[in-house]
Amino acid sequence: MKDYIQKMQTGGDIVSAITAFVEESKKINEDNHYFTVITEAQAIEQAKNIQKQALTKKFPLAGLPFTVKDGICVQGVETTASSAILKGYKPVFNATAVQRMIDAGAIFIGKTVQDEFGFGALGITQGKGFQAPKHPDDPELCCGGSSSGGGGFTKKIPGAHASLGESTGGSIEAPAAFCGVVGLCPTYSRVSRYGLLDYGTSLDKIGPLTKTLPEAATILQVIAGHDKKDETSSQEPVPDYAASLGNIKGLRIAKIKEAFAEGVDESIKNSVHEKLTELEKQGATVREVSLPSLKEGIATYFTIALSEASTNLAKYCGMRYGQSGSMNTSFDEYFTKIRTHHMGEEAKRRVLIGTFARMAGYRDAFYNKALKVRTKIIQEYKQAFKACDVLSSPTMPILPPKQTEAHNLTPLQHLMCDVLTVGPNLAGLPHVSVPAGKAGIMFIADHFKEEELFRTHAE
Amino acid sequence: MQSDMIIGMEVHIQLNTNTKLFCGCKIENAQPNTRTCPVCLGHPGSRPTLNKRAIEYATKMALALQSTIASQLVFSRKTYFYPDMGKNYQITQYETPLAENGTVVLSDGTKVRIKRLHVEEDPAGMVHEEGLSLVDYNRSGIPLIEVVTEPDMISPEQAREFMKKLQSILAYLDIFASDGIIKADVNVSVKSSGFERVEVKNVTGFKEIERCVEYEVKRQQTDTVVKETRAWNAELGRTRSLRLKESEEDYGYITDPDLVVRPIEPAFVESIQKTLPELPEEKTARFVKEHKLDAIDARIIAAEPDVAALYEESSKQVSPVLAARWVRRELLRSLNTQGKKLKDTPLRAHHVIPLFKLIENKQITDRVGQKLIRELAEEPFDVAERVQKEGLTAVSDTGEIGTAVDETLSENPQALQDFKQGEAKAFEFLMGQIMRKTKGKALPDVVRKLLEEKIK
Repeated sequence: MKDYIQKMQTGGDIVSAITAFVEESKKINEDNHYFTVITEAQAIEQAKNIQKQALTKKFPLAGLPFTVKDGICVQGVETTASSAILKGYKPVFNATAVQRMIDAGAIFIGKTVQDEFGFGALGITQGKGFQAPKHPDDPELCCGGSSSGGGGFTKKIPGAHASLGESTGGSIEAPAAFCGVVGLCPTYSRVSRYGLLDYGTSLDKIGPLTKTLPEAATILQVIAGHDKKDETSSQEPVPDYAASLGNIKGLRIAKIKEAFAEGVDESIKNSVHEKLTELEKQGATVREVSLPSLKEGIATYFTIALSEASTNLAKYCGMRYGQSGSMNTSFDEYFTKIRTHHMGEEAKRRVLIGTFARMAGYRDAFYNKALKVRTKIIQEYKQAFKACDVLSSPTMPILPPKQTEAHNLTPLQHLMCDVLTVGPNLAGLPHVSVPAGKAGIMFIADHFKEEELFRTHAE
Repeated sequence: MQSDMIIGMEVHIQLNTNTKLFCGCKIENAQPNTRTCPVCLGHPGSRPTLNKRAIEYATKMALALQSTIASQLVFSRKTYFYPDMGKNYQITQYETPLAENGTVVLSDGTKVRIKRLHVEEDPAGMVHEEGLSLVDYNRSGIPLIEVVTEPDMISPEQAREFMKKLQSILAYLDIFASDGIIKADVNVSVKSSGFERVEVKNVTGFKEIERCVEYEVKRQQTDTVVKETRAWNAELGRTRSLRLKESEEDYGYITDPDLVVRPIEPAFVESIQKTLPELPEEKTARFVKEHKLDAIDARIIAAEPDVAALYEESSKQVSPVLAARWVRRELLRSLNTQGKKLKDTPLRAHHVIPLFKLIENKQITDRVGQKLIRELAEEPFDVAERVQKEGLTAVSDTGEIGTAVDETLSENPQALQDFKQGEAKAFEFLMGQIMRKTKGKALPDVVRKLLEEKIK
């Protein structure tokens, strides 16, 4: 990526590069279903534009092709979060993260498929009419979800490329670990959520999927920083991330005891340990820390995420945009008809659970209690960071299963795939999944300390 | 003593900010759906950003109602499915309202407790026609405050006075546009039904709220009452049943994660407190104490800021009691008859002060004064000039008045005879005739004296 950008900054032929990239993308997509839409004409138009401007201006991402998770708004491009209910919806504005990529000279290529509204850890629960993407190494396997198309495509496409994903409980990290790429989930509020179709508003983070850790640092540098259109976006200054890359010496790593317990695939544990040993050799120290509250993570995460999701998805009702139908009944019956018809099973399940959890009489037992547990989990992490720079664990408890097998999992087994990633997501901590053998190793840093994650980069 | 009825209100008031509560769209009259953006239309991915001016206005109102301001500003999502909300949830305040525990004191001393005051966005406007529902999102996202009372009012008169007080405070704070939205949910429970709770939803406008309370009290005292929610039909002047109230609706409130929970600093509250003008209650008390006004005169004058200002300016140049009497009895009555509010007319203190001076110095009669004030209410003019031009100066010359008395007596022999037979009324009749003959310019005291001398 670095060489590619440098070449394009110094008179490289962006239009030819993008034309070739789009061709390659189309070919890959035929068999693998990574895209919901490839915007060929728009990409070439944009390439011409940047090519012209690059003569006088130095773009940090000059000519870099990038793809965007379907649930992130791109102006004038169908944006559905891979749900049938939003078929045909074209936003009138760009998400802030997308706008920043474009402003940095990157070229938008297309939208990548995802689990419907982000509801899924495996990449097999797209909405009605969408196809599951195929694993880049073995078409029978799952890509991981919910930023599944972004993960698979990032691995499959040979050239320089970055994909914008989004994580609520592990949706960047899971596909990164399954597909063998880097998935970076920044601190909550580090990157503006303006233009993101919400899943769990207090949990959603936009972040990059790339082939390497330095590439992830390059992309984060561009998309991070305050945005007045998103009140929750942080005013913390954005440091120079590249400066900390590979600064392993003296890095204090603490591996999370509970994340190596029963239920985690043995081969994954081995891969992660090998990676840690390698980092130790390069000057890091590794010890162990216990985070007992993490066992409450799954219940806490799903209670909060689904409560919020059930309000966020309320707007999708067959009115104003997306799908519609004939309205010859009451409003309530109409909304029910449209939602029943166009939402997938997993989306319905999660909306129903979330609605239940915030009903009067249950709100204290579920939603309000979950908020308290979340505070406790954050405190436990904060305590741990007093004695280490990064925490570490496997990203996923399992290796990518076959898609046919994955469909037989019970809903609870499906939710349990997030067991290792929900912790940092709940706490809003920055974390990254980096390939380790056939698995992914996850590093977690304290709030706004993304640079500590970049220190783990081994040349 | 148990009262015959209890009345409580939830009043929604539009704040007169320039822009909406969570986006930069202008609040102004315009073609439907032309003052909208992705935020107030609830487009996927759009987010609310708070209009701080609205919070300042709401805090003013909360302080004017002597409420306690919360230590944090928290917004919640109230989820319901209806075409008037782009997001299918309304951003409002639930667990933590902006303010709680306020009071409004009525003229009879009744304390109406204000349970809470919170800020929320207005939904879109809807018009239902046959087979058609039209939505106007210009209204969607306009800032409202909701003032919730305890059921402390015990008569329609108290409810009316409460609304008048709110109106008066809003005018002083200048946070409500007169063409803005004011609507109330009215709770009325009467003794004869065992205080069964009936709620009338969405009554729009000060006048309609008053009418609705009066109607509903009468209805409940004569009709069978069940616990229910009703709607007000302004055209028919009636309420009708909407639904029986078996349980509260469940809106599944959660804190809105898109809006940062902000501390409300004491320094902020103090700075707002400092901007509060002297409010009608305080003004009334001061007028009574310092100006020695009648309590009712004082209250009526203090109710409207423009009226109070006109009075105060006048009271510096003429006797306050005289100014008060003329403002309240003559000026306000004239405006009222003409269906006007002072603030909507160009009439100012400098128009009426010369008039009050002429009256005070007996240079014109009360009768001429009344005529002039009626005319001033129609359209202001230079009073001194008019008096000169029309020759309205009071007549005290006994010769001139004496002639008028003599003429009147010879024209009205019957009245003279009636008087002599002991009918006191006839004297007043003759007085009136003489005044008329002098076009109201004769000083009544002089007329009375001369008439008495002639016929007694």
